[in-house]
Amino acid sequence: MKDYEEIKIAPPSSIIPDQMIAYIIVAIFGLFFLAFLILPLVQILKTSFVSQARFTLYNYLEYFGKARIRRSLFNSFYVAGVTTIITTSAAFFVAYALTRTTIKAKGFYKAISSFPLMAPSVVQALALISLFGRNGLITNLVGGKWDIYGPTGIIISEIFYCFPYALLILITTLSAVDTRLNEAAESLGAGPVTTFFKITVPSARYGIFSAAALAFNLTITDFGNPIVIGGDYNVLATEIYTQVEGMQRFDLGATISVILLIPAVMAFVLNNYFTKRNYALISGAARPFLRPSSRSKKAIFTSISIAVTGSIIVIFLAILWTSIVDVWGGRSGESKQILKWLTTFSTRHYDFAHRGRSISVVWTSLWISCIVAFFGTWLSLIAGYIVEKRKPAGGQFLYLISVLPAAIPGLVLGLGYILAFVRINWLYYKASIIILNVIIANFTLGMLSTMTNMKNIDVSIDEASTSLGADLPRSFIRVIFPLSRVSFWNNMLFFFERSMVTISAVIFLVSPKIQLASITIIQLIDDGYIESACAMSTIVVTIVVAVHSLFFILFRRRGIKLI
Amino acid sequence: MGKDLLLENITKRFDKVIAVRGMNLDVKEGEFVCFLGPSGCGKTTTLRIIAGFEFPTSGIVRYNGKVINDVIPQKRNFGIVFQSYALFPHMTVAENVGFGLKMRKVPKTQINRRVDELLELVGLADQKYKRPPELSGGQQQRVALIRSLATYPEILLLDEPLSALDAKIRVNLRAEIKKVQSELGITMIYVTHDQEEALSISDRVIVMNQGYIEQIDKPIEVYKNPKTKFVADFVGTSNFFSGEIRGNVLSDIETGVSFKISHEVLSSLKSQKGRVSLSIRPEKILLFKHAMNIPEDVDRTNIIEGSIEVVTFLGVIVRSLIKLKNKHLIVDITEKDFEKSLLKMGDSVSLYFPPDEFLVFQNQGGRA
Repeated sequence: MKDYEEIKIAPPSSIIPDQMIAYIIVAIFGLFFLAFLILPLVQILKTSFVSQARFTLYNYLEYFGKARIRRSLFNSFYVAGVTTIITTSAAFFVAYALTRTTIKAKGFYKAISSFPLMAPSVVQALALISLFGRNGLITNLVGGKWDIYGPTGIIISEIFYCFPYALLILITTLSAVDTRLNEAAESLGAGPVTTFFKITVPSARYGIFSAAALAFNLTITDFGNPIVIGGDYNVLATEIYTQVEGMQRFDLGATISVILLIPAVMAFVLNNYFTKRNYALISGAARPFLRPSSRSKKAIFTSISIAVTGSIIVIFLAILWTSIVDVWGGRSGESKQILKWLTTFSTRHYDFAHRGRSISVVWTSLWISCIVAFFGTWLSLIAGYIVEKRKPAGGQFLYLISVLPAAIPGLVLGLGYILAFVRINWLYYKASIIILNVIIANFTLGMLSTMTNMKNIDVSIDEASTSLGADLPRSFIRVIFPLSRVSFWNNMLFFFERSMVTISAVIFLVSPKIQLASITIIQLIDDGYIESACAMSTIVVTIVVAVHSLFFILFRRRGIKLI
Repeated sequence: MGKDLLLENITKRFDKVIAVRGMNLDVKEGEFVCFLGPSGCGKTTTLRIIAGFEFPTSGIVRYNGKVINDVIPQKRNFGIVFQSYALFPHMTVAENVGFGLKMRKVPKTQINRRVDELLELVGLADQKYKRPPELSGGQQQRVALIRSLATYPEILLLDEPLSALDAKIRVNLRAEIKKVQSELGITMIYVTHDQEEALSISDRVIVMNQGYIEQIDKPIEVYKNPKTKFVADFVGTSNFFSGEIRGNVLSDIETGVSFKISHEVLSSLKSQKGRVSLSIRPEKILLFKHAMNIPEDVDRTNIIEGSIEVVTFLGVIVRSLIKLKNKHLIVDITEKDFEKSLLKMGDSVSLYFPPDEFLVFQNQGGRA
């Protein structure tokens, strides 16, 4: 160590203290959320409660005064309630099959079950229409006289929409709950059925409640499925749309939004509460070896899994097939002809110009989704880093505000945007308003997954970088970002997918100038072009699946595991 | 005057907990000091205040005559070695070591030279292009050590750097850190809860408890002349008695046994009023098979009968747990003596407590 003083080193060039940078970032995010989350919500409240500068309950009296509109509240609860019960039970049995039995092809069932996450929440209803609608394949095949439009159609569609979400929660729950309890019960003489209802179900109760609350929230806030298959049966979400788009009654639309907010937020809070209880219960439980299931048990759970995943496959197959055959379904009573029709292929349904629409909506959706993915990912990474690792004053507030969007129905936020930004030229009916809305609406999950990742990075790593002279931006770029790549790319995929398939968040924000693929599906259905709607759905789902696969292949080669 | 680090009346409060209470400390340039104390005593918080990661609630941190309370960590140029190594797993060993220099925009060729020289210093030249996860724990901590030294820090702060390592590696690396310190002459501030580590490595030990400094002294003084009951208990092993002093005799409340104490020992007490604690190290108590083996010239008051309950071999010494009425005492004798004495478990023995080997502590207000 003779040349100890040989290298001349200047102190690090950073001038602004990290604390100040953290404050500034928190302040910027605070303003961002204030403008694009709080302000639109305030506008909703204002529009519903204030008329001619005065507080009024007139809108609420009108809502509850008109029987047809008032019914939407009951309808929403009925549909969401029934969907919740069926989805949660079905998801529980499938989750049980995938975690507690030794049936074959678990990976296949799991992959198929998550498929609906990659599609707009309208394909379920669309598939039902093309199979069981007035001119549906099965309707014609058996000469059915049923009417799929209405509550039954909504409920069936929503079950398949909510199923993957509920399943994920229950798989997590059941794969962590201690199976030794079951063995103990059986050794004490309890039969398999008794064990199932007295041990398995109760020990997973918080997971079940959490899945149920989430299913309720998703159903009551969904717009895509009920608008295309609800017929005259109005729910809160579709009634908001009818009032705003049909009657230009923004005040009544805002009022119904407030009414919808209450059960939606409550279900969200319940979901959060039960999720926490659930994790407290399952963490650290041992998972001994799974004993081979009995033959009858295997048979039962294999059939349940096949029934559920088979239905999901049928939905997507119906969409694809409808889009590529020349004539779908045919006329009733001509069932002999149907097989011939089903094998006469045509690409004419992909000629959207012929239907008064344009293929360009796909490009619009694509580039908007890329921008959303880019900014959404960076913003959630920066916010998550600052809040979790730098813990500045106000950070906790930023955390709470960033959780809020998950509780707000997309439709309500979208309406708030139109009310709040009607006079702002660079936003109103521009791509910018869509991008901002989709980023905000999905920010919660992006931020939460970033924070989970940050928790896994040792606190000392960041401090080591600081003590070696790196300021906050350089610590972030050189140390934290390289260590967050997995969550970064996962988030990018997440934001891209949400942006491609979202309907309710952007339904009020599109216009003839800026039109999106997912919304075009609904318009095509509305115009009666079921086949073309299926064609557009096929394009959207194909893009999402392709991007998903691309990420998967690219990153698996580099040893990065994606969801 | 060298470049001293001064802590003046530092207090650190977190919400409801006070981690550091009015601390005063003067660390000389080139000195090796150790913060020693149980977990939660405030030692790591103090280190983080020196590093600049925590702001003191009140008090002044002064370095080289200047107040540095508001100087950001990046500009203090104090190196830090963390318990978890905190190496950047995505960078090679060389990139890790060169990171600080890169942040200071030092030219690449100079960074390379410095990195090589440091890797040489700790014998890791051949590991240059490996990534941290490929190294052993000891190697990783060596890399962390030289990474913090690369930028010629003026003070090196080490936060329990060895506690995640195996006992043998710990002893080797401890010696290596000491060697680096004396070669570079750099000021080191070292935090540990391991008393052996603190006593063996540092010039001065700062014993902390509940946010207070209990004692600042050379290692041998901390062991031989603990200033407070806490230090006597925490550093090494001690047997404690407590009671009131009458004349030069203390009678233990628990056992009723009386001990005669020498005047030199008693003179260390500010006041002989009230309850007083008495301590004696296990190796200072003399163990005899029969009272008649004890030399005639010693004070018979301090001979007490007991029985051996447990015997533990600790290598060079043998530790016996001796039952004395309703109390247990720890007595150490050398393995050689123990073998000669033919003592075994259950035997009754005589203990002699030399009056000048006691330490006395005021029960209250013992803290300066």
